[in-house]
Amino acid sequence: MRRTLLEALLVAVTGALLAFAANALSPRGLRLTRNFFPHDRAGANPGQTNAPAAPGTNVPPVQLVAERLRQAGLQVADSNRVARLFHDPAYQQSLVIFIDSRDDQHYRAGHVPGAYQLDYYRKENYLDKVLPACQAAQQILVYCYGGSCEDSELTATLLGDAGIPKERLSVYLGGFTEWTNNRMPIEIGDRNSGQIEKQN
Amino acid sequence: MSQTLSVEKPRLAKPKISKSEYPALLARWLVGGLFIYMGLNKALDPVGFLKLVRQYEMVSNFLLLNSIAAALPWFEVFCGLLLVLGVAVRGAAVMLVLMLIPFTVVVFRRALAIGAAQGLPFCAVKFDCGCGSGEVFICRKLVENAVLILLSIWLVAGRGRLLAARFSILPDRR
Repeated sequence: MRRTLLEALLVAVTGALLAFAANALSPRGLRLTRNFFPHDRAGANPGQTNAPAAPGTNVPPVQLVAERLRQAGLQVADSNRVARLFHDPAYQQSLVIFIDSRDDQHYRAGHVPGAYQLDYYRKENYLDKVLPACQAAQQILVYCYGGSCEDSELTATLLGDAGIPKERLSVYLGGFTEWTNNRMPIEIGDRNSGQIEKQN
Repeated sequence: MSQTLSVEKPRLAKPKISKSEYPALLARWLVGGLFIYMGLNKALDPVGFLKLVRQYEMVSNFLLLNSIAAALPWFEVFCGLLLVLGVAVRGAAVMLVLMLIPFTVVVFRRALAIGAAQGLPFCAVKFDCGCGSGEVFICRKLVENAVLILLSIWLVAGRGRLLAARFSILPDRR
C-alpha cells in the first residue's frame, strides 16, 4: 500500500507539472495571474454559464441581473432600444457602436453588423482597437449570448474601469440569441467583411 | 570475428494470465479513455471550464480558481493516458479515486441546491457539472461516477497488468 501511495504521489507531482506546462503552451491556455472576476461577490453568480439559457438550468431572473447592472452604474438595453439604435444614423457615423464579448469562434460565425469584438477572457488581443472606438462613441452596446451569459456585464465593467463613462455603456441582456430570434441582420466573419445575412 | 556460443537459454515458463485480467484490461482502457475524452473537452475550452468551476463557489482565491481550471483538465488527460498505456497503473488509479470522490460530492450538493431552487425532483435535475460531458441528468452522472470509482479501486488493487507498458514505475522489491 505504501508503494502504491508513493507511486500516486509521483503521478500527482509529474502530472501537475505537465498540466501547467500544457496550459502555458496551449494557445487556448488561461492566464493564471489575471483575476477574471474582480467584482465577484459571494452568491453573485449562482448558475450563470457562458451558454445560452437552457431549460432545467439554474438561471437567475433577468430583473435581478438588470437591477445589479443599474447598481453598478451601467445601463440596460432591451431589443426595442437596440433595434432603434442600430437603425439610427449615428450608427453609421460610429457614434453608436456594438461590442461583441463572445469568443472568436462565435463572433466569426455571426455578429451584429459592424460590431467590434472584445473577448473578455482574451482582452489583451482586442483592447488596443476597441478602446479608441469606445472613446469616440456616444452609445456603446455590449452583448454576449444572452440568457444567463454574464460576459457582456463583465466587458462593460471592464470598459468602465478603463475610463469609458458608464452612462455611455449599455448591456444588451437579450444578447445575440435575441438578436437572431428577432430576425435582425448578421455579419459573418471579420468586422465589416460585407457578408451580411438578412434573416427572413 | 564472432564466436557462436552454444549456450542454451533457459526456457521461461509462459506466465499464466488470469481470466479476470481481460475485464481488468477493458476497465483500464475504459476509465483511461473516458478521462482522456472528458479532460480534453475541458482543456480545449478552459474559459468555459473556469466559469463552471466558479459556479460551485468553493474557491474565492482567483489564483487557485485559475489553477484548477487550467491544470485539472490536463491532469485528467495525463492520468487517462497512464491507464491506457498501462504505466503506473495503481498510482494513476489512486489519483482518479482521489479526484472522483470529491467531484461526486460537490456535484451531488449542487444538484440538491438546483433541485431545491427550482422545485425539481432530484433525478430531473439536469445541468453542466463541468465534468466534460455537457449537460447531464444528475442521477445518471452519479451512477457513472460510482462505476468509475469502483473500477478505479479495482485497478488500485493490482488488476490490469495485461498489456501494461510498465505496471509499476517503482523498482521491484528484492
